[in-house]
Amino acid sequence: MIEDFLGNPITIASLIISVASIGFGIYVAVTNGRLLLLGLKSLRRNLLRTLLTAAATAVLVLMVTLIWTILFGLEQMTRERARDLKVIVTERWAVPSQLPMTHAEYLRPGSPAQLPELRGMYGPDDFMLWSFYGGTMDPAKRDPANLVFFFAMDPESIIPMMDDMEGLDPELIRRMRSTPQGCLIGRDKLAAIGNKQVGDRFKLSSINYKDLDLEFEVVGILPEGRWSQSAVMNLDYFNRAFDEYARARRVPHPLSDRRLNLIWIRVKDADQFDRLGGAIENSSMFSARPVKVERASAIIGSFLESYSTLIWAMKWLVVPAILAVMALVTANAISISVRERRTEMAVMKVLGFRPSQVFQLVLGEALLVGGGSGFGAALATFVLFNGLWGGIPFRLGFIPIFRIPSEAALWGLAIGAATAFLGSVVPSWSARSVKVSEVFSKVA
Amino acid sequence: MGPFRLYWLKWIAAYPVTSAFLLIFALILLAALLPLLVSLLPIRKVPLTYNLRNLQVRWKTTLVTALAFTLVTALLTFMLAFVRGMDALTEESGHPGNVLVLSDGATDEAFSNLPKFRVELLPRDLQKLIPHYEDGERYLAAQEVYVVATYQVPLPRAGGPTRRFVQMRGLDDLQVAAAVHELELAQGSWPSASGVRAITVTGEGGAPRQDTAPEVVLGESIARTLGIDAGKEALVPGDTVRIGPRRWFVVGILKAGVSTFGSEVWARDTFIQEYFGRTNSYSSYVVRTADARTARLAAELLKEFRSERNLQATPERVYYAKLSQTNRQFSVAAYVVAIIMAIGGVLGVMNTMFAAISQRTKDVGVLRLMGYRRWQILCSFQAESLLMALLGGALGCALGSLCHGMTATSIVSGGAGGGKSVVLRLIVDFGVLRTCMTFALLMGALGGILPSWRAMRLRPLESLK
Repeated sequence: MIEDFLGNPITIASLIISVASIGFGIYVAVTNGRLLLLGLKSLRRNLLRTLLTAAATAVLVLMVTLIWTILFGLEQMTRERARDLKVIVTERWAVPSQLPMTHAEYLRPGSPAQLPELRGMYGPDDFMLWSFYGGTMDPAKRDPANLVFFFAMDPESIIPMMDDMEGLDPELIRRMRSTPQGCLIGRDKLAAIGNKQVGDRFKLSSINYKDLDLEFEVVGILPEGRWSQSAVMNLDYFNRAFDEYARARRVPHPLSDRRLNLIWIRVKDADQFDRLGGAIENSSMFSARPVKVERASAIIGSFLESYSTLIWAMKWLVVPAILAVMALVTANAISISVRERRTEMAVMKVLGFRPSQVFQLVLGEALLVGGGSGFGAALATFVLFNGLWGGIPFRLGFIPIFRIPSEAALWGLAIGAATAFLGSVVPSWSARSVKVSEVFSKVA
Repeated sequence: MGPFRLYWLKWIAAYPVTSAFLLIFALILLAALLPLLVSLLPIRKVPLTYNLRNLQVRWKTTLVTALAFTLVTALLTFMLAFVRGMDALTEESGHPGNVLVLSDGATDEAFSNLPKFRVELLPRDLQKLIPHYEDGERYLAAQEVYVVATYQVPLPRAGGPTRRFVQMRGLDDLQVAAAVHELELAQGSWPSASGVRAITVTGEGGAPRQDTAPEVVLGESIARTLGIDAGKEALVPGDTVRIGPRRWFVVGILKAGVSTFGSEVWARDTFIQEYFGRTNSYSSYVVRTADARTARLAAELLKEFRSERNLQATPERVYYAKLSQTNRQFSVAAYVVAIIMAIGGVLGVMNTMFAAISQRTKDVGVLRLMGYRRWQILCSFQAESLLMALLGGALGCALGSLCHGMTATSIVSGGAGGGKSVVLRLIVDFGVLRTCMTFALLMGALGGILPSWRAMRLRPLESLK
């Protein structure tokens, strides 16, 4: 958690900006409480302008929060960790990886066929197999709405190996084990395929394994958020379907020896990863169907390469443009305000306010509006999106949803304050330089 | 008309809140644009020169507000150019007369598994629909094996990818396949009869040694991408590239065009099958027919054709149209971003216009006393807001247009697994510019309506006090 927090430069920068903004507010309140009250009164006096500026800041902060959440999520997935590395073994040269099921036995802990070099390196809780089974409920009218994609896997691997599954009720695993055709499905997927409930049964016509049409029983619901559109089925049930096919037709299914897609292994550290990779990639057991061993983060990074323009545009075009629009909106509002209040500022100077205090007053007003509305907008975005949809429902390849992190509130405060500062520093300086004689000569 | 009406009624019944919101939005929009329409009528007497002079006098505020419009419009132009590029890719890929055959149940070429195929195996009535290649012997049909291969970037840039997925297509006869897909060579030649070329590679210890490499033809986009990875502008015939387990010899480059084939590497089917574990397996068959109507007929006949496997045949254009799911998602995302930014911009314009009006209440009083009517005042201030939008929007379109022709990477997919990684060109056409300008003007109209309304409501004598 701390590692994630400190590893993200946006969060670090947000923390610094937020601390500086709040520090400035406290400094003004402590050294000159009157100035703070004056600022608040001034904001209230032109309530419409304050509200319009705050609303503009809020909607733009909402957008930046959404975009940064997606970028933050992608960054988290592709970040290389020092410990507890997840490693994926896949077909060496082609995508999608399609391996024979026998490959799993050379790597499975406790299997008599496990490569001797790997024995003791990782345990049963550090090992997971994934086969993908996709099927439609309506073969006549295939539609994403009636398609279900399953991760066919050993139920025992779900909690220890899958991300964000730590809180899954172990009772669901027991139910999956006791019901071969039992499956766990995300709430959104259940709703999409006709509001299915726990206990309901349905049949799928396979779209990737011709003639392997299977019946399923929903035994539980996957956690909200990342998995709300996913589904998990028993690997044994999947394998048995191939056996039955071969028995019934006296020939193996055409894809029988290409039905294992990914093998996941968790290793302690980079050193163990190197040893594991060397042992597997150099093993003669895999010479007929070569495999490669990679960190999960590297594989995800390669998949995301297709989205590189989109990610680049979000990072370097959309976000800067939004920040610039925010700064312009604030600059405009504060400039107008300063122009309208030149007499007031001249009077303040006559009353003994120093130029630096006038500067602080105008800057403080902008920071209060920007920082306050930014913080509020980010907090509302966090509550609204995570509460309603479990995150931002923007599908990017195999990632269906992005959960907004709690530090987003900090981003909002920082974005609002920083753009308010940029937009108001010139008008504030102009307010500081108001010449009493000039203003009063014009008034006269 | 009946079904049309019913459809909208059903839609309104299904989304009552959205419908109400859209209705309110439409009314506001109408009210906002009405002054513009009125001002264009011959009876106009709106003091537009007064507004122009005001914009000129308050040039700093005008500039800052217009700049916000510029940014939003430029960004929208870029995003729509990206979506337009993707649309063009899926629209232009596939010939209207081609029929694509996958194994029954497969949603994508990557998941399809078919045996070897010959047109001669088809019934006579189906054979008749397929024309011959220019030699008069071979049919215009191709059997293709499609794989996504892994490729290590030879000279990775700092922060850049170290690995890519490269789409490879194995074909039994590249020349015929190119004719089926209406592709031509820009440089080089088609693979030789053997499909293999002798090359010299650096062996262990740095000593040169002789080796062989299967010949490949590269799409124009992938030639550029792989070339940049190798530290040059683009790969050209004579270059070699290591993809998957082999080094391949480039013999030709396909002519640049707008299609997904521009991102593919073509080789002989036997090599792809051998090196990527697809022995005796094909992904698709593509057959050419005379036109779109014949293609539909052939697709129906092919579906009924009983072979070793059940076939799923679709006109090629239909298949590629289904790959536009990602385009739609990106298109929606582009509009969401633009609309949210526009809301920010609209609120900014409101600020500007409210301030302009509060500074000019006396002017409004004078104008009213001079005989200008309320609606003319409304039109006058609304025109001011629209002028800023026009200025900012035009600048934004001009700025955004700079991205025209730039290349970008993306993925096209039908949303049911699979998908193709593509290199596309951003397209700024009249449609994109029209949408962006309309968007900017709507922003101006919406941002100006409330302040203009307030100006219109000012009483002449009170405003002069």
